Amino acid sequence: MSTAGSPNPEYVNARVRARRGALFSDEEYRKLTRMGPAEIARFMEESAYEEEINALGSRYSGVDLVEYALNRNLAKQFNDILDWAEGWLYDLIARYLRKFDAWNVKTIIRGIYADIDRDSIDADLIRAGEFDDRFLNRLLDAGTIEEVVTMLKGTIFGGSLAVAYEDYENTDVLVPLENALDRAFYENLLGGLRGGESLALYREFLEAEIDFRNARNALRLARSGADIDPSEYYIEGGKLFSAAELSQLAANPEELVTRIRESTYGDELSVALNELEDADSLISFERALEAALLEYSDSLGSVFPLSVGPIISYILAKEREVENIRAIARGREAGLDGDEIEEELVIL
Amino acid sequence: MAKDVKPTRKELMEIEDRIDLSERGHDTLEQKRDGLIMEFMDILDQAQEVRGGLSENYEDAQRKLNMARAMEGDVAVRGAAAALKEHPEITTQSKNIMGVVVPVIESSRVKKSLDQRGYGLLGTSARIDEAAEAYEELLESIILAAEVETAMKKMLEEIETTKRRVNALEFKLLPDLYENQEYIEQKLEEQEREEIFRLKKIKAKKEEEEKAAKEAEAAETSDVEPVTADD
Repeated sequence: MSTAGSPNPEYVNARVRARRGALFSDEEYRKLTRMGPAEIARFMEESAYEEEINALGSRYSGVDLVEYALNRNLAKQFNDILDWAEGWLYDLIARYLRKFDAWNVKTIIRGIYADIDRDSIDADLIRAGEFDDRFLNRLLDAGTIEEVVTMLKGTIFGGSLAVAYEDYENTDVLVPLENALDRAFYENLLGGLRGGESLALYREFLEAEIDFRNARNALRLARSGADIDPSEYYIEGGKLFSAAELSQLAANPEELVTRIRESTYGDELSVALNELEDADSLISFERALEAALLEYSDSLGSVFPLSVGPIISYILAKEREVENIRAIARGREAGLDGDEIEEELVIL
Repeated sequence: MAKDVKPTRKELMEIEDRIDLSERGHDTLEQKRDGLIMEFMDILDQAQEVRGGLSENYEDAQRKLNMARAMEGDVAVRGAAAALKEHPEITTQSKNIMGVVVPVIESSRVKKSLDQRGYGLLGTSARIDEAAEAYEELLESIILAAEVETAMKKMLEEIETTKRRVNALEFKLLPDLYENQEYIEQKLEEQEREEIFRLKKIKAKKEEEEKAAKEAEAAETSDVEPVTADD
């Protein structure tokens, strides 16, 4: 519920274990890949997504219904976890779930920027982060981006957002604000993380997440050929690159790939790195990074069963489930066949 | 047509001038038509190539957008799209191909680098980059197709007009003029013949009259023969 009180990993892990058991299995994914969007919605109606499908059924239909129901269910599940957690456990979970706060703030800022009505922005929010409904509603009521930035003072996003706002005012593009939000999230992942054996694994996982994000971004910059300084997009906290190294490696993608290959992630990513060298697209590499992160979090859960590990592992697995079901539904809507969709899924 | 023409020499000269002008016009228009057709064939090849590229780019862009919507979610893709207010700009100029004014469309700010697309780099993925890039390419193809296909349409219209003019000259105006020319020539020849005949007639009559006058005179002379001394 909050950082106050004594941590309760036993209780939260027990609840999460039960939830984990309800996640879709490989067999269910296989069934879903053979269904049309309407059948998928019907299938979900008979699963853990029943409440959301019923609540949203009158407003949306087809794949939109599936996507909004998935987002709402994800938010509910993660809010439950935050409600159950106490003490430092809450802090450890909340710091990871703040990515949804960053997402929501970005969605609100984009909505205001593009002059989208309040209800449409509200529908796109995923209320799975630390910000409560009252605060999010206040942000939604803001008429200008400046008001949003002012309201966020005192949160982890406040400082960097205030600096980025000046850039935004000069350029009238959202890039500095969006980057500031994501940077604030990533750089607060590791801030004030205490010691301890179980937390060391969690720290490794978060470092891997930052390293993977840095590697992805460096490769995207290198592939785009844009004249951008990669160090501007560097996120502190990873162990694989320093800002200067990343700037140098971004200019030479081959060296960057070699560097990743020779790192501790080399074995897990070797197949993806081979593909990346041969193909022109980064997508399969990104998919491999996601799979590696999922696997990493899974091992995190099995080493210390009563730590934050299994909870984070569940969070990632749930996110992956949502992404997989959405991919199947959208893929079927776009006319992709079952095998093509299965190739895109990341399943442990 | 021929009935309305005055069969005069002046009219004949005027018709001959018009025939001369029309024949020259016909030759020039025929050359223009052939030239336009050749230019059109070049543009047609280009248009077919651009069309093929456009379909390919459309399919590619649609596939990448579908994949981005599938893997990142429709909400994320819509959000990334909403992060950009600036629209590409199009300026049109014109160029002249054999008298046909065709547009030259120039676009700016269609292709964007990663930091110009509005969305932040740290929270997005390569799928969104690829979908955005594919749509930028599609937009460029559409602009090129608009230029080439408009030129093709205008060339076709001009070929059609020129062809109609050539046909009008070849099958209507020139035959009418030839007919009038022939008619006037015939009429003039006829008038000439009539004139000659009339002159001949006059001449013959005059000769006859002269002959009669001479005969009368001769007769008169013989009637009033002078009396000699013998009488």
